[in-house]
Amino acid sequence: MMTTEIAFQDIRSLRKMIDAKTITPGEIVDVFAGRIAAYNAVSRAFITETTEDAATAAAMLTHTDLAGSPLAGIPYASKDLFDVRGVPTTAGSRVFHDRIATEDAFAIAQLRAAGTLSLGKTNLHEFAYGATGENDVYGTCVNAYDPTRLAGGSSSGSAAAVAFGLVPAALGTDTGGSVRAPAALNGLVGLKPTIGRVPTHGVVPYCWTLDHVGIMTRTVADGADILSIIAGYEPRDPASINLPQENYAQDLGESISGLRIGIPANFYFERVDPEILMALERVKEHLSDQGARLVPVTFPDMEHTRTVSLTVQMPEALSAHSAYLQDRGELYGKDFRAGLALGQCVLAEHYVKAKRFIECYRQQTNALFSDVDLILTPATPEIAQKLGTVKTTRDGVDEAVGNAITRFTTFFNMTGHPALTMPCGLHSEGLPMGLQLVGRYFEEKILFQAAHNLERNEAFSIPLPNVDA
Amino acid sequence: MKPLTKPTLQNICNQLASHDWSDAELDELVNPKLGIITGFQDLLDELETLRKIDLGDTPPALTVQKR
Repeated sequence: MMTTEIAFQDIRSLRKMIDAKTITPGEIVDVFAGRIAAYNAVSRAFITETTEDAATAAAMLTHTDLAGSPLAGIPYASKDLFDVRGVPTTAGSRVFHDRIATEDAFAIAQLRAAGTLSLGKTNLHEFAYGATGENDVYGTCVNAYDPTRLAGGSSSGSAAAVAFGLVPAALGTDTGGSVRAPAALNGLVGLKPTIGRVPTHGVVPYCWTLDHVGIMTRTVADGADILSIIAGYEPRDPASINLPQENYAQDLGESISGLRIGIPANFYFERVDPEILMALERVKEHLSDQGARLVPVTFPDMEHTRTVSLTVQMPEALSAHSAYLQDRGELYGKDFRAGLALGQCVLAEHYVKAKRFIECYRQQTNALFSDVDLILTPATPEIAQKLGTVKTTRDGVDEAVGNAITRFTTFFNMTGHPALTMPCGLHSEGLPMGLQLVGRYFEEKILFQAAHNLERNEAFSIPLPNVDA
Repeated sequence: MKPLTKPTLQNICNQLASHDWSDAELDELVNPKLGIITGFQDLLDELETLRKIDLGDTPPALTVQKR
């Protein structure tokens, strides 16, 4: 099999090859190490690569290790906010240029125990502050389908790493859509689980109230398999929920007949690229054909949601960075410092009011789930934009490009509901278009079940990017 | 509310802020040019709107629970 073919295999296919002894984990690491060497200069996906450590770990895997976990011997990467023992955690910033992790983050420890192989740490918007992935220090990640366009962020390197075939899966963080949106813009599956399902311990915080650990993969099944490993309870994370481990892939392949799919009557289908709307219409037709019932739902007033999110984000970010600002304030990027300055001027009453709005949003969204099992929305209102784009204009309304990228994702960070994005077609400009499915708290299995059903319809699959071009 | 001015912010930061902010950073809050965040005046106007919305006895959001 050619190197390129191996590089774009999903995790389950790689594991079948390992089990059939047609390739070893060490050989897989070699393939991806070669591709990182060849493509990192253009993709800017990795800040730190640890392929030599991965090769050493691969060589030590025993038959027992391989038999013990469906992910053993599989390489992955993590956004450079996750602590990996002995490896720098830069957070994409000069501020953390000398920070070496002494302990694995919770999710990394789970993956290490499962025998996976970390190939390195991926690029991001500095400290995850921004959805474009632009980074003055480590470069800006480009889109695998068109390197003149943004990968999106803030988990830009994780998306680019998977999309360029440098790794089969990656971890990211999602505070307003930073996993789901770049996954959608790069033709990948992106998952933000229920808040608290995957502990954030060992991840550099941006906003405790809204931060989630997320997953990017090529397929729905791979996402389910990874969540089955990294979900858990960590008492050092106060948002962590103590629930039993689950097999999230258990219901893949089950019928979706009878599922009630909520179709928002407001906000989520407004000011959207018409080709994305057409793709969502095809998705709705497919769901109906499969026996699902489409049910109109009306979201609460969404006018103030971005303000509410920002009012929580910036004071929390300021508090998280207070000590570093004191000692290394001059090392921060200008845009992040501007955000922190704004956080300095938000009043405590504003912050508390915003948190009360979040509780209202949670109650109102939970009420919607009395009538439906899932909610369907576009993942993003626009396809990936050109590098350097500051704003988009749709139906006569200007919007900062970062706001547009996360317009449909950010609300579910506040409510905490699990949400998954996946491809649903290729735009006439050659860029992926994506859909988003949202579920009830801790019901990720239904999300995966419906997403897997959609994935099996070839009408929604998209070609691999031609990165060699 | 009166529109925000740079001297107002300077006074706030001189007396209440936990960190030092440069003139340029305060300028950015009054007259944003980086295009990343909402202008501070716009944010204040929105926050004033939010303040007037009665949320009854709804408490701040904490952790979520399985339903």
